[in-house]
Amino acid sequence: MNDAIRMQISAFVDGELPDAEADLLLRRMGQDAELRRKAAEYLEIGRALRGERSVPGIDRLQERIAAEIDDKPLDDDVVVPVIKSGSAIRPLIGVAVAASVALVAIFGLQMTPGIDEKLAGDNTVAEVVEDPGYTVPQQVDEQLRQYYLSHGASSSELGANGMNARLVSLRLSDEALSEEDAVDSDEADDSADELPTQP
Amino acid sequence: MKFRRFRPLLWPALLMGNLSCSATAAAERVEPSDWLNRMGAAVQTTSYEGTVIRIQDGKAEALKVVHTVRDGIIREKVVAQEGDGLEIIRNGNEVHCILPDRKSVLVEEWDDQSTLFSTLPSSEVRFGSEYDVSIVREDRVAGRQTILLAIRPHDGYRYGHRIWLDTETAFPLQTQLIGEDGSPIEQVKFAEISLNKEIHASALAPSYSTENFRWYNQPSRHVSHNLETEWQSKDLPQGFRAVLTHGETLPGDEHVVTHIVYSDGLANVSVFIAPGDDQSAEGPSRVGGSNSYNAIIDGHRVTAVGEVPAITVEQIARTMGLR
Repeated sequence: MNDAIRMQISAFVDGELPDAEADLLLRRMGQDAELRRKAAEYLEIGRALRGERSVPGIDRLQERIAAEIDDKPLDDDVVVPVIKSGSAIRPLIGVAVAASVALVAIFGLQMTPGIDEKLAGDNTVAEVVEDPGYTVPQQVDEQLRQYYLSHGASSSELGANGMNARLVSLRLSDEALSEEDAVDSDEADDSADELPTQP
Repeated sequence: MKFRRFRPLLWPALLMGNLSCSATAAAERVEPSDWLNRMGAAVQTTSYEGTVIRIQDGKAEALKVVHTVRDGIIREKVVAQEGDGLEIIRNGNEVHCILPDRKSVLVEEWDDQSTLFSTLPSSEVRFGSEYDVSIVREDRVAGRQTILLAIRPHDGYRYGHRIWLDTETAFPLQTQLIGEDGSPIEQVKFAEISLNKEIHASALAPSYSTENFRWYNQPSRHVSHNLETEWQSKDLPQGFRAVLTHGETLPGDEHVVTHIVYSDGLANVSVFIAPGDDQSAEGPSRVGGSNSYNAIIDGHRVTAVGEVPAITVEQIARTMGLR
């Protein structure tokens, strides 16, 4: 990624990029995950500089932007939020689909015959990782997650704002899905531990 | 005959040497509410294929979307462009969520017409009361000419919206949810799009063979409609009114929860009332543009949830009580 494109992204997130260039950049972003990550990073930085959130190393962020654009080496200890591709994907889906589709994996799977019963009986309630962007981080419990789901469904019936609510539900579910994956992984590890060892 | 009819419109524009002025003038002659009505029809009937960029909480992400409507039946394919390659395939009311890395398919029935842009205002919004709607300017999105509409709330109890509508079709090419400080909370924008072009069935087919995948069905909520309740808010924010009241049994909870939905026509707030007096649960919570607030009232946990500012859910939750 060269300086020109970095500066273009920076201008884009600041809303200063001319429309024609912004359209072109967005088209490129549609094809290039690296560009999207960079735009997201700059957005985070912009929010931080506007005091919208607390980011470690905020006093050095401007330096980082300058360093990025100048291609200077960066200090390792500067903390900048980075999109986790695995966790970012599911909230995204909510834009276009019912969040509850993905929620199936969390909120009590009703298995069709022949499906792994371990998962069916797994009522693990994931602890939602707090979003660092919130002024007052809060923990969302299982009941509240159910409420978001129900709200999303009802809003959809009303025809307005339903998708946004579903989006939120999906966002919540994303964390739970990650947690479930972790549980699956742990259980797999446990199973491996139980394997008889070779004499 | 046609030339004569259009001439009064064309000549001034040609004299000015700027055809876009003509387009703007023509667009501005259409009332904002007419644009919204056209948009409502467009999102229900337009077939499209393109790439959507969504920006929220500092994350920018891309989706490939193919959407067709034929004989009133929606068929849609959504593919996330990063991560685990997840796909959503919709065929009418049946939706399959394919998780290739988990070799799983999640199945759900939809009974609504939810689409990519179902966050848009319905015809129930009372513009002029809680919101104003206006045409801001002409703009370009995804290489197409658009009209930017702004929906501005009159107070801090609801969010605003900006919508860029394709001048030709009134299809929304970009939407923004606007927070109390005027900045976007969430933005959805087409980076590129083809409208109303022929879409082959193969474009809507899954990219994966799901033959050996595990299939899951979603448990349904148990809803009993038209529940009579003594609960009500004693100080609702201006413009909100109760539009739905349900009794619900939610998964994992044997109690029947009273669910009341308040709406101003655009923003919705759900209030859930369940037995419980856990004081530690009291307080606010937030996810993206949605807020919730828990209050303990008369031995009940009262929770308000909605895509509204924190002040709105707090006021509604804290003012709930028995008649």
